[in-house]
Amino acid sequence: MTLPRIPLRSISRDELPVFNKHVCPPTFGGGPIDPLTPTRRIARNLLVNLDVELQDGTKVPVWILEDPDDPVGGRVFPSKTIRTVEGDIVHARVGVKTNTHTIHWHGIEPTPMNDGVGKHSFEISGNFVYQFATNQAGTFLYHCHKNTALHFELGLYGAFIVDPKKPDAPEARGVPDPPYPDGGPGFVRAFNPPDHVMKYDVESLWVPDDFDTRWHELGHDAFMQKCDPANPTAAENFTQDGILHDFRPDIFILSGEAKRKDDTTPFEKAAIRCKVGQTVLLRFIDATYTITEIRLGLPAQIIAEDGYPFGVPPRGQYSFPIDLPAGQPMRMTAAMRGDAFIRPTTPGRFPCTVDFFHWISGKKLYTATTFIDVE
Amino acid sequence: MKISRRDFIRYGMTGLVVAAGTTALGRMITPRRNGNGTAIVVRLAITEAMVEMVDHTFIYHWTFEDLGNPAHLPQLPGPLIQAIEGDPIELSITNRLPDVHGFRIPGVPGETGTGILVEPGQTKTIGFLAPEGGTYMYLDHLNEPVNRVLGLHGPMVVLPRTGNTPYSRPTPNVQKLFDDLGTAPHFPGEPWKAERTRIWVFHSKDPRFNAMAERGEKINAAVFREEFLPRYFTINGESGAYASHNHHTTPEGRIGQPHLIRIMDTGMNADSPHIHGNHVYLLARRDTTGDLNIPRNVLLVDTFTDEVAQCMDWLLPFIRPPDIPGDETIPLRKLVKDELALTLGGVGQSPIMFPMHGHNEQSQSAAGGNYPQGMVTGWIITGDLDGVDFPPSSPEEKGGPPMPHDQD
Repeated sequence: MTLPRIPLRSISRDELPVFNKHVCPPTFGGGPIDPLTPTRRIARNLLVNLDVELQDGTKVPVWILEDPDDPVGGRVFPSKTIRTVEGDIVHARVGVKTNTHTIHWHGIEPTPMNDGVGKHSFEISGNFVYQFATNQAGTFLYHCHKNTALHFELGLYGAFIVDPKKPDAPEARGVPDPPYPDGGPGFVRAFNPPDHVMKYDVESLWVPDDFDTRWHELGHDAFMQKCDPANPTAAENFTQDGILHDFRPDIFILSGEAKRKDDTTPFEKAAIRCKVGQTVLLRFIDATYTITEIRLGLPAQIIAEDGYPFGVPPRGQYSFPIDLPAGQPMRMTAAMRGDAFIRPTTPGRFPCTVDFFHWISGKKLYTATTFIDVE
Repeated sequence: MKISRRDFIRYGMTGLVVAAGTTALGRMITPRRNGNGTAIVVRLAITEAMVEMVDHTFIYHWTFEDLGNPAHLPQLPGPLIQAIEGDPIELSITNRLPDVHGFRIPGVPGETGTGILVEPGQTKTIGFLAPEGGTYMYLDHLNEPVNRVLGLHGPMVVLPRTGNTPYSRPTPNVQKLFDDLGTAPHFPGEPWKAERTRIWVFHSKDPRFNAMAERGEKINAAVFREEFLPRYFTINGESGAYASHNHHTTPEGRIGQPHLIRIMDTGMNADSPHIHGNHVYLLARRDTTGDLNIPRNVLLVDTFTDEVAQCMDWLLPFIRPPDIPGDETIPLRKLVKDELALTLGGVGQSPIMFPMHGHNEQSQSAAGGNYPQGMVTGWIITGDLDGVDFPPSSPEEKGGPPMPHDQD
């Protein structure tokens, strides 16, 4: 008996361009579209090859975006944090050194030409100046959006922090003007009226990530569909032997420090160092392809998710901060962000963990341990 | 707003129906609606079909078929069941496959919620009143998750009898949000209308297990959980370019026309769906037991975990993308007119389209690669708040403007 078939819908001639662009975006470059006068300029080049070194000296190749204006600290993994100020009009000059790429400013919401998704705009060959505002202070990220399964995993991402303006208040004395220094002190947009800015003394950035080292031997266009504008759906243009659906992490990372799955030593680089009475702002960015659960050794207050603070009117008025008791898990998946206040009251070393769970089976793959060290 | 019968019918007619007579009908979700107050009759068969993937591979599936549809084609995902809270529903399941199958709608009281069994060749009928407003997933719960993941799943949508939200018992913050849409200064435009709804049924499949089912082999659920490696990822039965350019899947409207998106993960992998262009309000979530959690704390997110076999509603506010720089009193069609005029790669930049995709980026693959032919779709802003649509892009492709001197 022949079984009934549920075929793909047929594509009209008019639909061929969007189907082709979906897999084979055009290239474009030059200055910003509909240009305005910027209040801040940033620059990133990609890609740059870097090695992440494990404890035993093994080097794992990663790809990063460099800040060409910073010869000292411009080449790091994860890629160097971008900081702008709320209300900025940003011109982001992106130089593509090899092949074609894009940058997506994840959570920042400009027009499609400035959103860095090839299939809805273009990929950069050479240079382009993205133009966008950063109207919402919070924790965002930026990453390449080409062959993203691979390019994001290989390391083409970094944190993007938008700082609120400094309030005219006594507690602002001694705090530099925004963008605030990485690590604090600074101000963050948060729930307290009337200004909805709150001071922190210490800032920490936790970025869990995971590598499947087999993927780190692949090339830029690995397992891409072949371009065929006349017939973008042709079966023969699909690859059949890719591994980008089969993620088997064997290295786990916290904020750039990488360990093999059998290495259970703590992640010292991410440890938070603070004093009794200080306010710590901990920002999380999930850069994994697994499911993570973060447990803090001290109680915390989650004040924002995905860059948008809870309880801040007008559009955040339907939410409120969440108390996170010590040891209670906070579950996250790829590209989610969270901001939390920690206010230590006693000195000590408080262990914190990040558990990584397999994205299909849900099995625990690894536990990363780090600390909050309170003087 | 009272949801009238008329609104409800328009909801059914909008976005979810495809013209009859096309070979693609089986892929679409068709509505069931209550015409004149009598019971909604839903007659489903459990059957089988070969389903074409984005790379033209055909894969065996167990599927539902809507026996009330004259086209007599299996559908994947199963047909949409929709009702207004309290409507009597009479639902029959005919099992055309050689083994016993189950049917369950978690969250519905009684045997419908706990599940019934249908022997091969048998038809079973269940009657129930449409439960409280919300998004429901119906599924074959036997040998969980095997029967569900091999294709026996579909959506049920129930609207509340009164109110202006999708829920019968909204929390104060959910109620306030829906009251503010179209009335508060931060949500200029229109309130949510029930017909501005899309359903996104996420699915993933490992053809090795489908082949076992095709050969009639028993599939052990523990082995299935352990070894499942998804090779195709779909939204409403489609992947990649097909799912991204299907008007039945992509929300579309002008600024100020908020849409509800009802998401359900019917596959085997949790994902991290990320939407561009607007953050979304995270509304009710339904867990695998059927419990509905309507949040007191309504978070505004751009990425959130979809958990396996659970439902999650998003409110996409359709505000002007908030990080477009420039004077907000100028309509976008004037503020970004150079961009809207551009045609790149043969595709106009007008109207504005943003993607939604899984950020566990493995889900963006098909057959192990072919990015982005996986679980991806998008949404489209067609015009400004003042009711004027964006002008069409120029047919001519232009080069980029020169680099400004200060950037060199």
